[in-house]
Formats: sequence, structure tokens, C-alpha cells
Amino acid sequence: MTTASGTQPVAASSSSGSGTAGLYDILELILDRGLVIDVFVRVSIVGIELIKIDIRIVIASVDTYLRFAEACNRLDLEAGRKAPARLTDIVGDMVESGARGTTGGAISGAVDGVVDAVGDFFGGDDDEEKKR
Amino acid sequence: MSDVPTNPPPSAAASEPAPDSPLYIYAITGSDHPLRLDGLRTVGGVGGSLSAVVRGGLAAVVSLAPPELRPKRRDLTAHQELQERLMADGAVLPMRFGMLAPDSATVGRALEEKSEEYERRLAELHGTTEFNLKAARAQDDLLREVLSESEEARRLNALTRDGNGTHEDRVALGELLARQVDARQRLLAEQVVQQLSSLARARVEGAPAKDDFLNVSFLVARAQAHEFTEAGQRLARDFGEGYDFRLRGPLPPYSFAA
Repeated sequence: MTTASGTQPVAASSSSGSGTAGLYDILELILDRGLVIDVFVRVSIVGIELIKIDIRIVIASVDTYLRFAEACNRLDLEAGRKAPARLTDIVGDMVESGARGTTGGAISGAVDGVVDAVGDFFGGDDDEEKKR
Repeated sequence: MSDVPTNPPPSAAASEPAPDSPLYIYAITGSDHPLRLDGLRTVGGVGGSLSAVVRGGLAAVVSLAPPELRPKRRDLTAHQELQERLMADGAVLPMRFGMLAPDSATVGRALEEKSEEYERRLAELHGTTEFNLKAARAQDDLLREVLSESEEARRLNALTRDGNGTHEDRVALGELLARQVDARQRLLAEQVVQQLSSLARARVEGAPAKDDFLNVSFLVARAQAHEFTEAGQRLARDFGEGYDFRLRGPLPPYSFAA
């Protein structure tokens, strides 16, 4: 791997990780990636395992199927998305926030409890700012 | 082997920790790194300050281990902010949150045992940074798309609306939808990754959370960080409404440190 550039600070416009929403989005990187040295002890932290449960729903279960069917039955088939996205909104969403306004619905319900449980580990010590 | 380094770097602002105390380890970096650590908080916040264990060409940034450690916002932020400070001045191998060692001698031994590996990795990561991209598509849009393209889905949906149809009909509809949604999400993930990969040196894909279809980290040359950000914004714009792209970076290379 070659390295052409130096180590000057990068003037990219996207946010880095330590903002409120940003921290939530990189939680998994801090808790579950990064270097591990096996002669060190990884402190046993309640909550770290929980984050791993928060993955995309396993498709193959009758419960999941029924939630999909219900969500589909509830769709207003006439209402579609017609207007093209407004540029400023998209860029703003992407750079500034982790807002999840466009998604969600019946199918995400099953794991919300887990996310809340992980969320409880934030703000236990300071301001009660939670992602959700 | 001495617990105290015999050759601390003259430029290092950090001092050697007390030899017998348990330590929290933040990161490994080159011993020529300036280690400007002033003003940063420690994980656990037990007072005391950040310091470095130096062996040969490597330095491990540490602080006294807190008696109790939980992943609170304050501590995760302290861990993250230290990485950001270090990466401004040179390559860094960020540790996973929560690594502890019984004393500085253990840290020193760990550096010595794998010094070649860590130095090689630091050289490879020199001048690079990580970007993480998570993406979701509105579920209703996915379902509408499946309905519009599948006659069988339309038939089953009509059959089961307003509480009609049998349990088997509903399961059959759900199974069809789940399979179709999953396939479409995988395809979307491939498309997005493909569009950004030409600007990246490496990538690591993780499990997408909840209704996300993508969770991928890219290793990007710092000189191209701005270009990468713009490419991400362009991509979000092109996909348009109903999609949610969350691009984070420049980040410490958590996904590429191991």
C-alpha cells in the first residue's frame, strides 16, 4: 500500500464521529471493531453483546412473514412517491444527522426494545440525550 | 525487561504511567507521534492523565483503568475523541473500546511481541482514514415495488386485505415479500458499494442494523477524503427520496486496525 499524502488534517465537510447522532452511528465501530490484543482483558461490559443483536431481522420466521403481510395489507396503494428529492434535504440528512424519518414501520418493531436497551447505556451519566 | 522505557521520545508530551497500575489502552501509534494529549478526558474519568507506554518504534496510549467501566456516552466519546486527536498527527491503530491490561509491563510486552505487525499496519494506514456508510430504504417503497412487479404478491395482498384470507395466505404473502425485500436490499447494497469502491483502498462490510440494507466501512486516502464525501452525497442525491444514507467520516480506522 502506497501513501502519497501527508498527515495534514482533512478538510472534508462530512461530520466525524463525536456528535450526538454521529456517536450512535459509529457505536458499533467503537464497540465491535478496532484492534484487540489477546493478552489484554476486554472488560466485560453489559450492553456490548446487545448491540450485536441489533442486526437486520432474520428473514425466515412466520412472525416476520406475518408482519410483512400486515404492512403490505396496510399500504395505501394509490399513494406513491412522486416528487423528486429536494437536494438540500438529502445532503443535510446525510451530512448532519442520522434521522431515520424515511424508514421504519411494522417490521422494525421487533428489535426496537433492544435498541432502547442499548440506548439506556447512554445518558445514564449525563444529559439524557437519546437517539430515539 | 524493565517496566520503564529506557528511551522515551523527547517530543512526547505524555509521561510513563505508574508501573503497577491497571491500565486502559486507547490506541497504538508510532513512537515518533507527537502525542498531543492535553485537554482530553480519560475513559472512566478517574482523574490522572493520559500517558504512553513506549517500546521501540511503538507507543501505546493509556490511562489508569477506572474501577468500573460501562459504555456510557461520556466514556465512548472520550475514547473516540482521543483517536481523532491522534489521527490528526499521524497513523493510529485504535483499540476496541474496553481493553484493559494489568500493568504497563504487560502493555510493553504486547508491543514487543507484535512490533513488526503493528509497525507494518501503521505504515499501511499512513495517510488514510475510514468512512462508514449506513443506508436504508423506506419499507413501504420496497413493498410497493414488490407489489407492482409481482402478480402473485398482488393476488395474495388482495386476498388477505381487511382481515380476509387464511393464515396460510398471509404467511405465503409475507414469505414472498420477505424474500423479495431481502433480494432487493442485497442488490441495492451491491450497487452502492460498487459506486464508491473505486475511491477506496479497502472495505469491510458489517451486518446492517434494523431496516438498513447496508453497513460498510471504506478505507480512503486522506487526500481523497473530500472527493469521497462528495461522491457519497452525489449517490444519496441520485437515489433520492425514500432512502436514508448516513455517511460518517473521516474516522479513525477501527475497521482496518486488526
